[in-house]
Amino acid sequence: MLDSRTTRLRLVLFGGAALLSFPPTVGGQAFGQADAAPIAPGAITITLTDAGCDPAKVGVAAGKTTFNIKNESKRAVEWEILKDVMVVEERENILPGFAQTLTATLDAGDYAMTCGLRSNPKGILTVAATSEAPAMPSPMDLVGPIAEYKVYVKGEVDVLVNETRKLTDAVKAGKLAEAQKVYAPAHQHYERIEPIAELFNDLDGSMDSREDDFEKKAEDPKFVGFHRLEKGLFTDKSTAGLTPIADKLMADALDLQKRIDGLTVAPKDVVGGAADLIEEVASKKITGEEDRYSRTDLWDFQANVDGAQKIVTLLNPLIVKQDPKLSARLHDNFAKVDVILAKYRTKDGGFESYEKLSDHDRTAFKGPVTALAEDLSALKGTLGVE
Amino acid sequence: MTSGQDRGGCPFSSTSSEADENRRGLQPARRDLLLGLAGGAIGLGLGSQARATPAGALLSGDDGTQDCQPFYGLRQSGVTTPQPAAALIASFDVLAEDRAGLERLFRTLTERIAFLMKGGEAAALDSRYPPPDSGLLGPMVFPDNLTVTVAVGASLFDDRYGLQKARPTRLISMEQFPNDALEAHLCHGDVVLQFCSNTAETNIHALRDILRRTPDVLALRWKIDGFLPPHTIKKLGKETVRNLLGFKDGTANLEASDETLMNTIVWASPNADEPVWTSGGTYQVIRVIRMFVEHWDRTALVEQQQIVGREKASGAPLTYANEHDAPDYAADPKGKRIPLTAHIRLANPRTPGTETSRILRRGYNYSRGLTDAGQLDMGLLFVCFQADLAAGFLAVQSRLNGERLEEYIKPVGGGYFFVLPGVQSRDDFFAEGLLRAAA
Repeated sequence: MLDSRTTRLRLVLFGGAALLSFPPTVGGQAFGQADAAPIAPGAITITLTDAGCDPAKVGVAAGKTTFNIKNESKRAVEWEILKDVMVVEERENILPGFAQTLTATLDAGDYAMTCGLRSNPKGILTVAATSEAPAMPSPMDLVGPIAEYKVYVKGEVDVLVNETRKLTDAVKAGKLAEAQKVYAPAHQHYERIEPIAELFNDLDGSMDSREDDFEKKAEDPKFVGFHRLEKGLFTDKSTAGLTPIADKLMADALDLQKRIDGLTVAPKDVVGGAADLIEEVASKKITGEEDRYSRTDLWDFQANVDGAQKIVTLLNPLIVKQDPKLSARLHDNFAKVDVILAKYRTKDGGFESYEKLSDHDRTAFKGPVTALAEDLSALKGTLGVE
Repeated sequence: MTSGQDRGGCPFSSTSSEADENRRGLQPARRDLLLGLAGGAIGLGLGSQARATPAGALLSGDDGTQDCQPFYGLRQSGVTTPQPAAALIASFDVLAEDRAGLERLFRTLTERIAFLMKGGEAAALDSRYPPPDSGLLGPMVFPDNLTVTVAVGASLFDDRYGLQKARPTRLISMEQFPNDALEAHLCHGDVVLQFCSNTAETNIHALRDILRRTPDVLALRWKIDGFLPPHTIKKLGKETVRNLLGFKDGTANLEASDETLMNTIVWASPNADEPVWTSGGTYQVIRVIRMFVEHWDRTALVEQQQIVGREKASGAPLTYANEHDAPDYAADPKGKRIPLTAHIRLANPRTPGTETSRILRRGYNYSRGLTDAGQLDMGLLFVCFQADLAAGFLAVQSRLNGERLEEYIKPVGGGYFFVLPGVQSRDDFFAEGLLRAAA
């Protein structure tokens, strides 16, 4: 993490031959930023004298700059970078004859420098916008979005628990039609928070496995969880024998809720989670293999997209700063997916059967979904998260 | 344009040509021709050096990775250039939302293919990003004889991009023949890319490179890999490849290095009733033809030979001594030497009036997995080129309809496409002429 402030997107060409760099890409993607060359800015030396700063006017490029402040005045001084009245960076108590360094990450704009005595004229620091990538967000910048994301996840898991209870109660009461009705509304909450839910490998296995994961497929006794209930409800059309599976699923949901409550969410799981959700869509939801018995795939398609979009929305202030075009592309492509999905919304807020999805729309999904997958794969790099 | 640029940096520049050709073991006559080309002759493509490059390269101990086919030129490589051992054909739906998106796609294809066919250092990003190159060929991408040939299907000329009026006159969508069992997921496409190189890995590297850069505008529709025996390829011209039925296939194929012949039979004619932009292009037929090899292997040799019309071992037409003997059908009107229903006789009856229905074949074998019945899913990835679809493939196939071989083969996929003219310079891009004609 320590490096995330300083490392910037760079294009490393093995031999440095410029002609081999990326062409402008069709989808945009991370390659589009390849012109952001590395810079290793030399330190700017500012000498404080009794009369003020020397030089009194300094221009630097946006991003990280190291200032070497030498105090050649007769008294201990503090040196500050001011944006209007706000202190952006400072070094206090630099003794006469000593020097200190200060590394500041500055956005483009006009700043002032304090130069020893308050009566001394302030120096002028001009930070020019550059074509270089702006400085990486600091770990602190991610704290807010990560905390908000955890609130979102907790909210989702709370609803998941409530909806799962409706589902499992209906199953245990033998109310087939009711259980069928609440299956998709419950499962979607799991799909929205999949990047976090998947961190608990055991629960993910017992809650969200598909029959493909087992040697004996649907007949395998280890096949339990949402999709096992789905198979019983929609293929066998019976709740017979599902009670132990319902009980286990309910217990798992409560366990998941508890574990998420105590979880410290890592930035990489959130930033990378958006990409994981879209990969899930690209490789599974488009094919209709997720909810093969109930054909409620479009609920989960939307849930994965919503989960990814939530992450992007929370991170967007940081993404915009790094790469406004990336932010715009993400926005556009989410919108395109939502527009196609909206065609299949039913009046009660649900979705049509996957079988209603036209070949044309299945193909049309591929463009924005694949573009999202490419763009989101660059998100960790864009935000400097390892 | 200098000759070096014409060839996309391939090692055929006038200064280094002699060394290169010595290395490649080219014969003096070929060398003269090549030097002539390097000196600025235009419009020839590199068909004239067909079948010389890979053999020479490999004989001299070269591993072939630096084999290189020209990218820039009036015509694309991958039609009359020598066939390397590995092929991959990928067909796509174009998802571009408008004409500008379509142009972006063709410009991207141009840039990537120019790079991939020439090779160079694989670019990389900060390690927190996914690497933009798959790394399949290592940090230094080598050309490996790669050609990526870009063609367009009839569906690209629907109402999406307003290209209707610029459609190649003879371009139609593939229709079902009596023996076909076309599977929708293996047919047609807006754009088809034919990758050919020395190895499957090089083709896959190129495909993945292009996919990474076209996520919002290209969606894979179908894909199939093909292969030819590398040892036979080294001796092409002297030896003919066998297909998966065990028969030599391609004995009577056209000589791709015969420029005049190619201009007549293969390349779209600027004098015909075609849009001007099509000059330098050609019609491509792709057919995925499954062979029922288990059944075939359980068929008596005499019957196999009667069905094909050739000796299985030597490849000679039945009752003839040598593979390349030309059967005299006029003297055999009742099919006593070669049955009237034999594949080779139907395909090429050698009668007046059928000369124009010749095609340049450039097929590959394929092998995929098993069928639902547990039988081998393999066969012929048939590819051919012609200036006129109706007079070329369609005429040949209509003669073959009902042939005895049909009991053992089943075309299941493919399509008809138009190979775009070549990219002539760094300012040009694929389909520029088409887009301008439709503007």
